[in-house]
Amino acid sequence: MYKLLGIDELTNDTVQMVNRLSDNAHIPFDPANTDYQEYLEWLAAGNTPEAAE
Amino acid sequence: MSSISVNAITDANGGSTTSINSVTPNVNNLVGKNLIINGAMQIAQRGTSVTGVTSGAYRAVDRFKIMIGTAGTWTISQDTDAPDGFGNSLKYNCTTATASPTYVFLEHRMEGQMLQQLAKGTTSAKKVTLSFYVKCSKTGNFQVNLRDKDNSRIIGNVVTISSANTWEKKTITFDGDTTGTLNNDNGESLTLEMFFDAGSTFNTGAVPTSWQTEAATKRAAGVTLALADSTSNYINITGVQLEAGSSATEFEHRQYGTELSLCQRYYWEITGNIYGGDWSTAGMISHPYPVEMRAVPTFTYDVIRTPLVGSGFGYSSTKHLGVYCGANPYVSNIKATAEL
Repeated sequence: MYKLLGIDELTNDTVQMVNRLSDNAHIPFDPANTDYQEYLEWLAAGNTPEAAE
Repeated sequence: MSSISVNAITDANGGSTTSINSVTPNVNNLVGKNLIINGAMQIAQRGTSVTGVTSGAYRAVDRFKIMIGTAGTWTISQDTDAPDGFGNSLKYNCTTATASPTYVFLEHRMEGQMLQQLAKGTTSAKKVTLSFYVKCSKTGNFQVNLRDKDNSRIIGNVVTISSANTWEKKTITFDGDTTGTLNNDNGESLTLEMFFDAGSTFNTGAVPTSWQTEAATKRAAGVTLALADSTSNYINITGVQLEAGSSATEFEHRQYGTELSLCQRYYWEITGNIYGGDWSTAGMISHPYPVEMRAVPTFTYDVIRTPLVGSGFGYSSTKHLGVYCGANPYVSNIKATAEL
C-alpha cells in the first residue's frame, strides 16, 4: 500500500514522492527508480493509493 | 636498474601475443575490465548475515540479489570461507527445505551505459567471459544466464559442480550478440543470473546456448542441483568476473574504497544522525551522498524531526539529500536505495 504526500505548501506543486506504508519508505517520482516502477505497476493493476492528509 | 625505451613491442612473428608474466596486455585486461561490481564479495553494507529469508531482495553482500520464490527459508551471508587469494564469499544456506521449489537464483544487474564496450547488437559484438569460484555441499548442475533486458534475449550454459565441499573455478565464454543493442542509459540492460533450483515454470525448455529470444522455461533448463531440497545444503560464490574477450584473465582485485564507492552508486546507509540547520521557522537538511547515485533514491530512516514540510524528502536529487522538516532538523539511520 502507498500513500500520497499531497501538495507542497511552499510551492503549491504536487509532491514528487509517494510513501510506501510497509516500511515508511519515501519513493521519488524518478522513472529510473525501481521502487517507483513497482508503484506504477501497482497503479496499472487497478490499485489506488491512500489520499494525502 | 635499467629501462627500455621503444615505440612498440610485438611478438616474435610481429603479432600481438607478447606476454608479460604470462598475460598478454590488451584492452580486455586493463584496470576496469571486470564488469561485475563487488565480485570478491568484500562489501556488505546491509550487514553480514540475514536469517529467515523467504523472498527476493538485496541481502548481505552488495550488488548481488537473492531471488527466492516458494523455496524454503535461507540464511544469506558474507562468509569468510574463500579460495586462496580472496577474503570473502557470498553464502546461501538452506534452513528450511522444500522438494518442489519455484525458484532459487542470484542476480547481478548491470546498467546499459556500463556495457557499451561490448558492442552488442552490432557486427562487432564481442564475446564475454565469465569466471568465478564456487563451493557447494553437493554435486550437480546449475545454470548461468546472461539476460538482455532491453531486447528480451538470453544466452546460458550449464555449470557442473564436480566435487562437494570443494572450491572450484568455473569459466564460461558467451558469444557476442549481433542482435539487440543495449540502451546507453542508467537502466537495467544486462543481468547475470545463476539458477540453483527451479520448478516447471523455469526448467521445461532447453538451455539457450546461443543468443535467442528469452522464455522463462529456458532459464533453468539445465539445473539438476536441487539446492533447496535439504537443510544440509549451501553454496558459496566469489571471484565473479565478467570481461570482454574469449578468455578468463586473472581476477581484478580493486581496492576496498574503490569497490565501496562503486556499490554506493546503488545503496548506502549511515548509522547515526545527519543534522541540518534552521530555515525560517522550519529546518532544512542538505547532505551530499558519498557518490552520485544511479537514480534519485528511495529513503528509509528510523527517526526524523517532524513535521515534514513542503515536499519533505522531495528536495533530494541523485547527488544530495534534501529534506525540509521541523526546526532543529535531523534524520537518523538513513538508508538510500537506487538499486536496479
